[in-house]
Amino acid sequence: MKYRILHKTGYNYSAPASLSQNELFLYPRQTPTQEVLDCQLTIVPEPQYLHRRIDYFGNTVHVFMVQHPHNELAMSATSIVRTSRPVTPAPEKTVAWESVVQRLAGHKQPVELEASQFVFASPLVTVNSSAIDYARPSFAPGTPVLGGAVDLVRRIFTEFSYDKSASTVDTTVEQVLVNRKGVCQDFAHLAISCLRGLGLAARYVSGYLETVPPPGKQKLVGADASHAWISLFVPDFGWVDLDPTNNLITNETYITVAWGRDYGDVAPVKGVVMGGGVHMLSVMVDVRAQCEGEK
Amino acid sequence: MTSTDVTPSLFDSVALSRGSYCEAFSAQRQPRGHWQPILGALDAIGGDALRQHHERAKRMRHEDGATINPFDETTERSTSWALDMIPLPISETEWTGIEAGLTQRALLLEKILADTYGPQALLRNGSIPPELIFANGNFLHSCHGIQPSGGRFLTVYAADLYRGEDGRFRVLRDYASNPAGLGYALENRIVMSRVFADLYHRTQILRLAPFFQTFHRALISRASLRIEDPGIVLFSPGPDSPLYFEHALLSRYLGYPLVEGQDLTVRNGKVFLKKLAGLEPVEAIFRHIPDLSSDPFALRRETANGVAGLIQVCREQNIDIVNPLGSGFVDTPVLKTYLPILCRQLLSEELLLANHPAWWCGNSEGLQHAMDNLGQLTVESAMGQAIDLAGPVDILTAIKTKPSQYMVSAPLAPSLAPAWEHNGVRESYTLLRVFACATEHGFAVMPGGLAITAGDAATLRKNCPEKQQSKDIWVLSDKPVEPFTLMDGFHTISEFRRSNDLPSRVADNLLWLGRYLERAEGLIRLLRSVYRRLSGEDRPQDIPELQFLLNILQTKNIIPKTPDADISQLLFRQLTEHLHTALYRKDRPESVISILKRVQQTARNVRDRLSVDSSRVINRLDDFPDTPLGDPLELLDKTLFTLSAFSGLAMESMTRGLGWRFMDMGRRVERAMNQAVLIRIGLPQVCGDSRNTLQALLEVSDSLMTYRARYKSAFQLAPVLDLLLADESNPKSLAFQFSGLADHVEHLPRLSERRFSCSEERIALQMLTTVRLLDLTGMKCGEEKTQQESLATFLVSMETLLKEFAQQVSGHYLSRVPATPHYTMISGDRLE
Repeated sequence: MKYRILHKTGYNYSAPASLSQNELFLYPRQTPTQEVLDCQLTIVPEPQYLHRRIDYFGNTVHVFMVQHPHNELAMSATSIVRTSRPVTPAPEKTVAWESVVQRLAGHKQPVELEASQFVFASPLVTVNSSAIDYARPSFAPGTPVLGGAVDLVRRIFTEFSYDKSASTVDTTVEQVLVNRKGVCQDFAHLAISCLRGLGLAARYVSGYLETVPPPGKQKLVGADASHAWISLFVPDFGWVDLDPTNNLITNETYITVAWGRDYGDVAPVKGVVMGGGVHMLSVMVDVRAQCEGEK
Repeated sequence: MTSTDVTPSLFDSVALSRGSYCEAFSAQRQPRGHWQPILGALDAIGGDALRQHHERAKRMRHEDGATINPFDETTERSTSWALDMIPLPISETEWTGIEAGLTQRALLLEKILADTYGPQALLRNGSIPPELIFANGNFLHSCHGIQPSGGRFLTVYAADLYRGEDGRFRVLRDYASNPAGLGYALENRIVMSRVFADLYHRTQILRLAPFFQTFHRALISRASLRIEDPGIVLFSPGPDSPLYFEHALLSRYLGYPLVEGQDLTVRNGKVFLKKLAGLEPVEAIFRHIPDLSSDPFALRRETANGVAGLIQVCREQNIDIVNPLGSGFVDTPVLKTYLPILCRQLLSEELLLANHPAWWCGNSEGLQHAMDNLGQLTVESAMGQAIDLAGPVDILTAIKTKPSQYMVSAPLAPSLAPAWEHNGVRESYTLLRVFACATEHGFAVMPGGLAITAGDAATLRKNCPEKQQSKDIWVLSDKPVEPFTLMDGFHTISEFRRSNDLPSRVADNLLWLGRYLERAEGLIRLLRSVYRRLSGEDRPQDIPELQFLLNILQTKNIIPKTPDADISQLLFRQLTEHLHTALYRKDRPESVISILKRVQQTARNVRDRLSVDSSRVINRLDDFPDTPLGDPLELLDKTLFTLSAFSGLAMESMTRGLGWRFMDMGRRVERAMNQAVLIRIGLPQVCGDSRNTLQALLEVSDSLMTYRARYKSAFQLAPVLDLLLADESNPKSLAFQFSGLADHVEHLPRLSERRFSCSEERIALQMLTTVRLLDLTGMKCGEEKTQQESLATFLVSMETLLKEFAQQVSGHYLSRVPATPHYTMISGDRLE
């Protein structure tokens, strides 16, 4: 599939902001199933300082600064990507989860060593007994690793309710487990915590998902949103992405932007503003399927 | 005691302890060679003189403000830096060994840092376990790939050494993020060389000053800085840091301005210091702030002390930070267990300084050792994060659940050294904190350091400087040492710099210090006048001017407003209660005690700008009680005296630069506001009872004597008002304040050369001109109501202008806008 994604973030300040510093993870990643054809970043007012780099996890990051007083700040990224359906192993055919744990701990192959960095707790994903206890029923002894993960994701999908009002950026895994509700970021963190608690490698993926309007309805511009899901390391295969919010193994309607240990590594937009009074934030995401040849 | 020598010695009380090496005496109780001259000299000085020296040294440290702020904030009292009179001598031969070992270790650690933040070959080839990088909060992902200036990943390094029972030195801990103690070592040396001037100069002790010079020169050349006026700052978390004294001392000694996070800003990928005249480039930072607090933008966003964007500046290679951000990786406790192997691998040498025996539970042998010997071992965090080992948590289960987070180490049995305590000598366990800095070719070790001592080994292990003592380490040379005066420093040029600029934060604090001081003095004068009247024999309702005084207190919200504002309704007991509130209640922002607290706080924030004497005076405000105690009148007198002493000392010792101007400006603004309110409220009442109220007005304005001397007559409205408003020679008059303000603003740095182009200048001129043109002739009580009304209007407009003036000055020079972090929230999509 070919997609054109527009991601706009705007800040309106009640008083002029004198200095604004931002870090953006908005540039989609090149992956075996995703080709980035184009990505344009527009920032208004024009920043005096803009820097681009590749981070520790291979994501493209932009840092910019607006250094004169401004009342509003708008950042928009327009990307054109071509995705293909990922090949995924049959979940029940994958190796038993215990042997994955062993191979990660032994990390004999470079890929296993590379994957092992996603086994440990990270700043926003704690690993403790309550998450492990929650994970256990999906991982009976000898359960194929992907089979267990698919079941875990299914349980999170059915046992937790989707509630935008229930979360903030700082919601912890423990709170999600207690409240049994949250948004995609929370479900991803919870699933990662469960898998890492068992000794498996799981990373956090930030990106977009094409939404299809109900039959007969026209798709509204900007009705989409940033999305987040997880990726599980399966030895001798690679990484398999699962979406706990929608109970799916991801397909070609998923567009990957960045991955890291947790949300903190790949927050799409984060920044610090000096002054500015009260902030009004507006985010608009539009994911459009394109015909080949369409610009 | 086998010795036949019968001369009694101070050190006779020293008992040899089994299990620990004795620094001063051999097993046969013979003084070790390098101790002999010191023991002899101390014995010659004698117990009584030592006692005096001890007291003198204590006083000197107190005067220097050498304190450890308590970690426990509830006590609010700082602990004096404890320095023991008996130094710790080390022979040069032995020191050479320490020096070689420390240099090797620093080189090794730097290579490890370079690999960790670069190719990570040690991780890939299995030399270090993945946990050390991936499960270690001291490894900062955002610093990976940054090339520090001069390619130097480690530029200052410290280690805690101890001497084991076998007499060999071992390393207990390594420090790289922001090693502490350099300043205290310097302070110890300054005090010791003064107290034992004779002994110090007779003994061949290696000097510390050349080390600081090496540190400075290496930084200059590495970062290619200007020799004159290099843009180096010393970055401190601020006065709330327990080690603030050290930061202030090092800042003064090295000549690097002391800055806090809010003094610095990042523009165009570079760091700048916010000064009154504008932004000044910063090229190097000697930081005393941990890795994780250094950049709230890239690291922990809850941190309040850092500089947003600092890591980005490092990426751009536009700054030299000592140490480079991320070097806290070295502080990871478990890292040292890998050093023997890594040393062979990276330097093809054996590790010279052995580690204190420790085992990581993350590998099977270590875990086995821990399980088998748990009773004899100390359990610690492997990665240095806080772990809760107290309480009912079963430590065995905790280790088994997350073995990689724990390490165990052997019991610590450091050496014992004689220490002076309570009139005698006792034995004290001793650690040596030693320091090294990068040079052009490698590392230089400071010949000396900080010996940390405690009565028991457990206290020594903990990071609680307030419970430990310290000693100066004397490295004794076999050759005569070149004299090098410590106090002169090497930065003599800076003595002659008459830079007329200062950080905005400092100016802001000085301005508010001036305001709070004046506010406190004004309020105390007012309350004193009230108490004086109440202490007489008259009933409150029979004191006509009391109404006026209480009205002022009510207007200023210091005592509650009564509905009919009539004091005859106010019972004496009620009044006393109100006044007590005004004096002692900490929860009332305008009470005397609250304002005094603010005076102390702002003074503390600019401690490095105030004279030592004035800082000492301010500490006396601690004595102000928070409950009624004794005679309030006496208390008010005493406090006013202390405040005057402080103001006098502070103002007298300050050069007439910008700092002084801001402090004085604060005072003038506050006094002018106070004066305008007093007269405006007093005006309607002076005519009802002219004499008493006029006298009270003069009294609270501190102008009674002047009036009497000048007029020798009864109190009359016109001359009183002239004295309090228009008389520019009366330091309490409105005109005097305005003239002062006009002079100050004229001398502030400004963007435009044109005079009166900025609003604070215009406002100051407007106020001064208006008060000069004020016509008070013929001002009398009685018919001329309009004259009084126009005076009231004048006063109101002056109050408005003063407020605007203060805002303009803040806006122009002191703007401290709060930083707000923002993050987007990913709610995501759920398919229908």
